[in-house]
Amino acid sequence: MQKHLLPYLTNLGLLLVAVILSLAIGSVFISPAQLWQILRSWLSHSSLPAGLETFSFIISDIRLPRTVLVLLTGAALGGSGTAYQGLFRNPLADPYLIGVASGAGLGAVLAMSIRWPYTFWGLLAVPMSAFLFAMLTVMLVYSLARVGRTVPTTNLILSGVAFSAFATALTSYLIISSQGEVRRALGWLMGGASQNSWQTVLAILPYLVIGLGFLLMNGHALNLLQFGDDQAQQLGLPVMRTKTLLLLAASLATAAAVSFSGIIGFIGLIVPHVMRLWWGADYRRLLPLSILAGGGFLILADILARSVMRPQELPVGIVTALAGAPFFLWVLRRSKNQGYW
Amino acid sequence: MEIRALKIEGLTVFYGKRCALQDITLEIPRGQVMALIGPNGAGKSTLIRAASGILPLQSGKIRTNGDEFTALPPMQRARYLAVVPQAVALPPAFTAWETVLMGRTPYLNFLGQTSAADEDIVRRALQRVDAFDFAERRVGELSGGEQQRILLARALAQATPILLLDEPTAHLDMQYQVALMQTICQLAHEDNLAVMIAMHDLNLAARYADSIALLVQGRLESVGSPAYVLTTERISQAYHLPVHVVPHPFQQVPLILPEE
Amino acid sequence: MVKMMFRRSIILLISLSLILTACSPNLNPTTNPTVTEVPATLAIPTGTAITGAPVKPITMVDGLGREIELPGPAQRIISLTPATTEILFAIGAGTQVVGRDTFSDYPAEAGSVTDIGGSMGKYNTEAMVNLQPDLIVAGGINPPELVASLESLGLQVFFLANPTTLDELYTSIKTVGDLTGNKSGAADVVAKMDSKVKEIDTKLIGITERPMLYYELDATPFTAGPGTFVDLLITRAGGTNFGANMDSAWAQISLEQLLLADPAFIILGDSAYGETVATVTARPGWNALTAVKDLKIFPFDDNLVSRPGPRLVDGLEALAHLIHPEAFK
Repeated sequence: MQKHLLPYLTNLGLLLVAVILSLAIGSVFISPAQLWQILRSWLSHSSLPAGLETFSFIISDIRLPRTVLVLLTGAALGGSGTAYQGLFRNPLADPYLIGVASGAGLGAVLAMSIRWPYTFWGLLAVPMSAFLFAMLTVMLVYSLARVGRTVPTTNLILSGVAFSAFATALTSYLIISSQGEVRRALGWLMGGASQNSWQTVLAILPYLVIGLGFLLMNGHALNLLQFGDDQAQQLGLPVMRTKTLLLLAASLATAAAVSFSGIIGFIGLIVPHVMRLWWGADYRRLLPLSILAGGGFLILADILARSVMRPQELPVGIVTALAGAPFFLWVLRRSKNQGYW
Repeated sequence: MEIRALKIEGLTVFYGKRCALQDITLEIPRGQVMALIGPNGAGKSTLIRAASGILPLQSGKIRTNGDEFTALPPMQRARYLAVVPQAVALPPAFTAWETVLMGRTPYLNFLGQTSAADEDIVRRALQRVDAFDFAERRVGELSGGEQQRILLARALAQATPILLLDEPTAHLDMQYQVALMQTICQLAHEDNLAVMIAMHDLNLAARYADSIALLVQGRLESVGSPAYVLTTERISQAYHLPVHVVPHPFQQVPLILPEE
Repeated sequence: MVKMMFRRSIILLISLSLILTACSPNLNPTTNPTVTEVPATLAIPTGTAITGAPVKPITMVDGLGREIELPGPAQRIISLTPATTEILFAIGAGTQVVGRDTFSDYPAEAGSVTDIGGSMGKYNTEAMVNLQPDLIVAGGINPPELVASLESLGLQVFFLANPTTLDELYTSIKTVGDLTGNKSGAADVVAKMDSKVKEIDTKLIGITERPMLYYELDATPFTAGPGTFVDLLITRAGGTNFGANMDSAWAQISLEQLLLADPAFIILGDSAYGETVATVTARPGWNALTAVKDLKIFPFDDNLVSRPGPRLVDGLEALAHLIHPEAFK
């Protein structure tokens, strides 16, 4: 029993540590003891000593929404990366394989070329456009890859790659011919939470709950799919329907995360592999563990991104690759898990 | 109604414009083993795949003496028949135990939660194919013969009255071929299963099958007892190779020898 | 059993996050918080301005079309763009600036003001909150998302739209003067700028030709197209901009086009990135250009023509002296 719980407890523990660090670290260090005081005062609606009032505001309005947003983004990327690797049975698969990233980038840059009014909806134009184009791309890639009643995996990958190249080229062209939106577009594309409000969290939460929730319920299905479409169907899985829904759910979660946070790479690719190396290849466990670990790792990367060169802030996508790659190689070398895939 | 046989009626399958199987009608009573033989491309694997529901049918029915399951959704169909594919490209990271556990899928809820009863069935299946000793080893570390037995155990765990096998002896050494066929026959008789095996080794088929169906270019050339189907003319014609069919020196079955 | 425990921990996690969400004081940031909603320690100073006279509230419409109301002239200003910083210091509001972006390097006094980030579009919001500003001035390069996220923290932002003509620039400067209580300082700056421009216009009245200039923004090469201040100033300085017929403001060009046009001058706006006379003459094929043969290649401080601020007229002057030295003898 204990052994079964160990992976979840470990990942939860790591996540908790990451969250506390993220709340503590910033322009001023707020110790865990002070964090605890602030939390207690919120829960009991009592007041704080004067010095901690400012801290309370910083936590509630700057650090906490940012931490939660980064957590959700990392969770979405970790979960959908796992699903994509399972669906395509390919260790190189990541959440952007069939075009979510390039579609989102195109949508965002297109929206940036229009001067939207400064209203509630106007401010949502860029993320909504990113989200819309991301999902449109996935659906187009899917329908292009269809052959009769089946969607061969190879077709999906090729179709996705071709589409991504097209969308990326179009995006680059738009950026180059833009009237000064270069900085804004590149900043978005490199990733990093820019709109860190609770509003953003609420905006993406439903898609993540639906998308990741569906994935979590299909761990067994993903296990079956590892044997190939034929065997999975012979064992009782309605393969076509399941693959389509899984693809949609994973893309939904990724698109929502990417539409506000930009394109953050590496997490969706590496976190599932690390989880596999540590805890094995059963997708019923792999999915929740990758979701937790994705959130934790991205929080840690975000902390680095905003502390390493203060007051400058690195785009978090750079940190995930720079720090993530050596970490992964270290895990790989120390792993005794032969044939972990 | 109690299931007594697998009946395939008028099965026709097209690959694009090409007719892969034409009007196949077969019946396999429970407790019997039927071997599907024929040259490559004759449609043996296609028949297995079509019967298991992963190929669309142009026409025809697949049924038992009572229920028809041509158009059943996969989950319910999987309670009628189980397939043992060739042991190639299996996911290496799952253990033998986990792999056999997949066979319980048709009886699990959508979350895939297994119960103690399921685990009993899996244990028993592994024991019956003599694979319980390496249940905790990863499939990637097992030999071809061991992997094939695991797939057989998985099909057994599926607890179906009908078993289909697609060239299970194809990559195995002689001793494993014999051992596997003996196990299959034993299981068929003990569990009263209707078994259809696609095979390319004619002598193995002659030795172990209760009946034989000869497929040539998508058509059922002949079906019946081994002695009836395995004649010199039929085999020579089907395989485009002159053969001698002689009585086996120590068993009551035909023995096929190439002429040259 | 395992599944149940796992489910419980997920429910716990979600409840925890919901509790934290519910208890956060600022759940609906779309409503622009008024002064009184901001925590006590961030009280915005009201009352008397520097001059000691009683002050009236200031109401102005910013570049995003919103009506911004200040209780009095801003005393604790954060500038998010280098151009704004230059304007603030030029009109005499330098002592009212408490924060500036990383790239604000002029005048020298700006260096001692707190740096609040800004490279790659990311600003240090915590540092900004800690400075307790009463006004943040954003510029054309700041996206609306940034303005919205700052305001969701209870900070007051005024968006200064990018001017495209000198008159619009004068208006910008006067706006900043109004916001900071430096009306007369702003008027002075504008007057000086205007008179200098007019002086240059006068000196250039008799010119007979308008030589072509290639202004290099980047070594790829990129040049400044129509609608930019570079284009405007080159024309005003009595020259022709090579990039005037391009499609966009930031236009990539080819050596072929340059050879066909054969500009008289090459101005290196990218000298800050290491381009020099030597690097240009070394470029393969470039020595066919007249400007290279005559060594009419001039490194230039790009900030003088790209920042919409008081130094634009200095840039104009420099260009005019370059193109028509005979008019200034």
